[in-house]
Amino acid sequence: MSTAATERGDGLADGVGVAARAAALTKAYGAGETSVTALDAVDVAIARGRFTAVMGPSGSGKSTLMHCLAGLDTVSAGQVWLGGTEITGLSERELTRLRRDRVGFMFQSFNLLPTLNALENITLPMSIAGRRPDQEWLDRVVDALGLRDRLRHRPAQLSGGQQQRVACARALVSRPELIFADEPTGNLDSRSGQEVLGMLRDAVDRLGQTVVMVTHDPGAAAVADLVLFLADGRIVDRMPQPTAEAVLERMKRFDGLRKN
Amino acid sequence: MLRATLRSFLAHRGRMLLSALAVLLSVAFVAGSLIFSDTVSRTFDRLFESSAADVSVEPRQEFTEAQGIYGGLIPVVPAALRADVAGVPGVAAAHLDVEVRNITLVDRRGEAVGPTTGPPTMAVNWQRTGHSVVELAGGREPRGPGEILLDRDTADRKDVAIGDTLRVIAAPGSFEARVVGFAAFTTTNPGATLIFMETPAAQEKLIGRPDAVTSVSLDAAPGVSDDELKQRVAAAVGPRFSVKTADEQAKTATEELGGFLDIIKYVMVGFAGIAVLVGIFLIVNTFSMLIAQRTRELGLLRALGADRRQVQRSVLTEALLLGLTGSTLGLVAGVGLAAGLIRLMGLLGMNLDAAEMVVGWTTPLAAYVVGLGVTFLAACLPARRAARVSPMAALADAEVAGVGRPLRLRAVAGAVVAAGGAAALVACARNGDTSTASLWLVLGIVLTLIATVIAGPLLVRPVIRVLGGAFPRVFGSVGAMSQRNALRNPRRTGATASALMVGLALVGGMSIAGASMTKSVDNEIDRSLGADFVVGGSSFGPFPREITDRVRDVPGVGLTVRQRYATARLTLPDGERVRTPLGAYDPELDKVFKLEYAAGDTAAALAPGHVGLQKEYADKHGIRVGSVLPVQFADGRRARLTVGALSSQESESFNAGGGFYLGIGTLERYQPGGQDSAVMLNAADGTGTEGLRSRLETALETYPQVAVRDQADFKDLVRQQISVLLYLVYALLGLAIVIAVLGVVNTLALSVVERTREIGLLRAIGLSRRQLRRMIRLESVVIAVFGAVLGLGLGLVWGVALWRVLALEGLRAFAVPWGTVLAVVLGSVVVGLAAALLPALRAARLNVLAAIAHE
Repeated sequence: MSTAATERGDGLADGVGVAARAAALTKAYGAGETSVTALDAVDVAIARGRFTAVMGPSGSGKSTLMHCLAGLDTVSAGQVWLGGTEITGLSERELTRLRRDRVGFMFQSFNLLPTLNALENITLPMSIAGRRPDQEWLDRVVDALGLRDRLRHRPAQLSGGQQQRVACARALVSRPELIFADEPTGNLDSRSGQEVLGMLRDAVDRLGQTVVMVTHDPGAAAVADLVLFLADGRIVDRMPQPTAEAVLERMKRFDGLRKN
Repeated sequence: MLRATLRSFLAHRGRMLLSALAVLLSVAFVAGSLIFSDTVSRTFDRLFESSAADVSVEPRQEFTEAQGIYGGLIPVVPAALRADVAGVPGVAAAHLDVEVRNITLVDRRGEAVGPTTGPPTMAVNWQRTGHSVVELAGGREPRGPGEILLDRDTADRKDVAIGDTLRVIAAPGSFEARVVGFAAFTTTNPGATLIFMETPAAQEKLIGRPDAVTSVSLDAAPGVSDDELKQRVAAAVGPRFSVKTADEQAKTATEELGGFLDIIKYVMVGFAGIAVLVGIFLIVNTFSMLIAQRTRELGLLRALGADRRQVQRSVLTEALLLGLTGSTLGLVAGVGLAAGLIRLMGLLGMNLDAAEMVVGWTTPLAAYVVGLGVTFLAACLPARRAARVSPMAALADAEVAGVGRPLRLRAVAGAVVAAGGAAALVACARNGDTSTASLWLVLGIVLTLIATVIAGPLLVRPVIRVLGGAFPRVFGSVGAMSQRNALRNPRRTGATASALMVGLALVGGMSIAGASMTKSVDNEIDRSLGADFVVGGSSFGPFPREITDRVRDVPGVGLTVRQRYATARLTLPDGERVRTPLGAYDPELDKVFKLEYAAGDTAAALAPGHVGLQKEYADKHGIRVGSVLPVQFADGRRARLTVGALSSQESESFNAGGGFYLGIGTLERYQPGGQDSAVMLNAADGTGTEGLRSRLETALETYPQVAVRDQADFKDLVRQQISVLLYLVYALLGLAIVIAVLGVVNTLALSVVERTREIGLLRAIGLSRRQLRRMIRLESVVIAVFGAVLGLGLGLVWGVALWRVLALEGLRAFAVPWGTVLAVVLGSVVVGLAAALLPALRAARLNVLAAIAHE
């Protein structure tokens, strides 16, 4: 069902740029008989300045899609563009630079460096690149995430929600073209989860950031502008302006499918 | 439970690899040294047993010469003794033996044919008895004074052919002789170079007295035991001679050789000790890390109902399995090491048969005791820690255990032991008696070492803050992260660095001692040695008078002063009897060697029947000017010498023991026929030293055993001798470093495994492979430099204490070899870089996705 034409009609409004795009993206693990296709000729475009959620049952390929879009994983076939750059075919070194300069990450388990304090964790991508963070922007991000009085704390001294906010700030501070968040609320209680989602929403609305989030949680997906549903390595549906109820309803149909 | 243990051991066998290697190295050195020394002693036992006559009549010796001090006298018995003992009932045959050890063999080009150091060059009379260990192998027997046989090993080594003429420099004088045949050993050649001559020629040319031999050997008639024969012969010859059975001769020979074998044994034990010591750190660290990584798993075992003892036992069982594997492989490696050593000895001229390697039952026993003991001991602490893991750990998100635990207990224990160690070192530095001070020194070294190991983790933070302080500025965030990673688990960093520290502390201490010794001796030579040149051997061994005569005949040589040594037993006024070397000099000693006096002067000390000695020693034993000392020489002759002067010479390097010295005339009266060990000489008025030197060298060209040395050469000689000691220490260090590098590799490799997720994250957010490798390299370097700094610091403290002990022996100058220190620090950087190679490569190869997903 997913052709480039329907995607454009569904996903992108006129005058909205493309932050990332995949064409006929296929990812298979293993070879021959035991080969498993995680992504099956996926065509997708991520709208710039929008909050896109990716949902789907376990094994649907949503994490793989994110990894491939982020240049973390290699593809078996097809092409991936980040902005105007085709990243399929880039060397390891170029990919590293691309991730460093143009992509931000958030993980389910926060993945902060325990030896660095919050501020150092936030500025880590910049200092790895050998760039000085834009102080004004840094202040704005830190204040927006309410981390001002936690900057000197080590991750171990922070709560889960605070840690994920630090991870969020780390993703934001280098002003990447795209932030990939892999189940950012998965390890948080609902209140902290809501906080983090609010931050991401704010980042999109107020800072014009582009966010792609993989999630299991219909409530979290409802915060996004668009939800992409994956099943068996294909994009099977998309839902603009989602609500938690609608998403939940849609997900139930997967369960129904599975039972059949 | 046992199955779980086995599974876990097998699952982690990769991580155990380096620990097993450390056990292997320790055990290999223990086993290798045992096998080697067993093989060597077996070989020599066999040689001595087969070469010893049933009974031998030898010159009486009250005591052996002091170590390294040889007077060059050849103890003899009259040849007529053979007739006296041949008639003793039970004697089947009596043979005259001539055996002279200190000869030099020179080929046509003036080069030494035999070894110049180590095994001796010997001359023996050629005779066929039942106890010969050589046989004719080519050519014919020697006849007359101009013919010799040469041992075939030497002939092969030096390309000597039958018909060649060699010059033999023996005590009575040198002579030319033609090689008419070769002698081959029927047993192991102990490494000596041997020539054989007809008996009368040997008496004449080697001893210089046709009526004397070095011993008379007897064959017992059938049915007469050696002991029985000894009794009868002893009764016949009286107390002037010593009569020995074959067993006793072999025992004496073994004892004489024992010193040399003991040195090899001690060196090997030293290597084994270092390997064991450093290996312990490595094993402790491995187990601690494995347990930290498996906290959750151990918690699960506890949650499932395993009690503490079971957990502890499971860890210890793993250690035993590791020890067993390491010991077995180490035993095999030890056999290889022994075989290598045996081949090495073969290259040095001692032909041991590797096929006859002796593996006594003690060898595997010692190997397993060491291997299992070390691993078990090292695993004890981690095992106790493992037992303390609570069942809750299975549920909690397992951060590395033990990171945050307070180090207070460590601080207290470290401080207590350090205080003890420091007190011992101070006591050592303050003590006036060398042997007591040495005891304090050993105690102090052991305690301070333990204290540093205990306190190491506490020092990690401050020291690495300083060492890696510039990292963030120089290397940016990569530098900052590597510094913090090193600080992350102080225990681990401390233990890893400790392995390096032990070796470097040894080197630090020893090189300071070496440098101080060298400087002291340099100062002493500057102050005292006034002679333009000294002619002598490199080990101050005695040389034939011919050389002294040659020196005196060189035009332009002015004053010459001979130095000669003898060993004597003195009875001191306080009742003590000591065996001590006596130095004998010509009366003009003052003109070539400056001595300072507390009482009397050189003339009084060297006057006939008089003796001089060092004042401090004299004070300690109640000796004053005018005291009369009863003296006994090795052959039993007695004398009474009057103390003529007390020297206030600081250093005893001039003369070991109490610094006893006397006139050559006095010594000659009681011990005629000794050889000079040095000739000190001044140029005659109006003679240039440069020209004189070349004339002296030309005159002595054909005497490879001596060299012409001025003050600077003399310093070099002493320096060389001290550096031989240091080379040994450096070799020990080399081994310690190899194991320490294994330790660093181990720690880094396990850290990389532990931090897989973190590394994945760093790579995900844009750390390049090169930056990642650099991060790990820097961490490694900072750990290694930390070890080096700690080691050198400790070494400096030891060095100062060691120097205080040396100062008691008169070596008062203090010097720190900054070159060595710098080299050690730079070397430790290299060690760090080398150790990081593999772990860095491995970390850089990690798949980013797999790393993020790692759990």
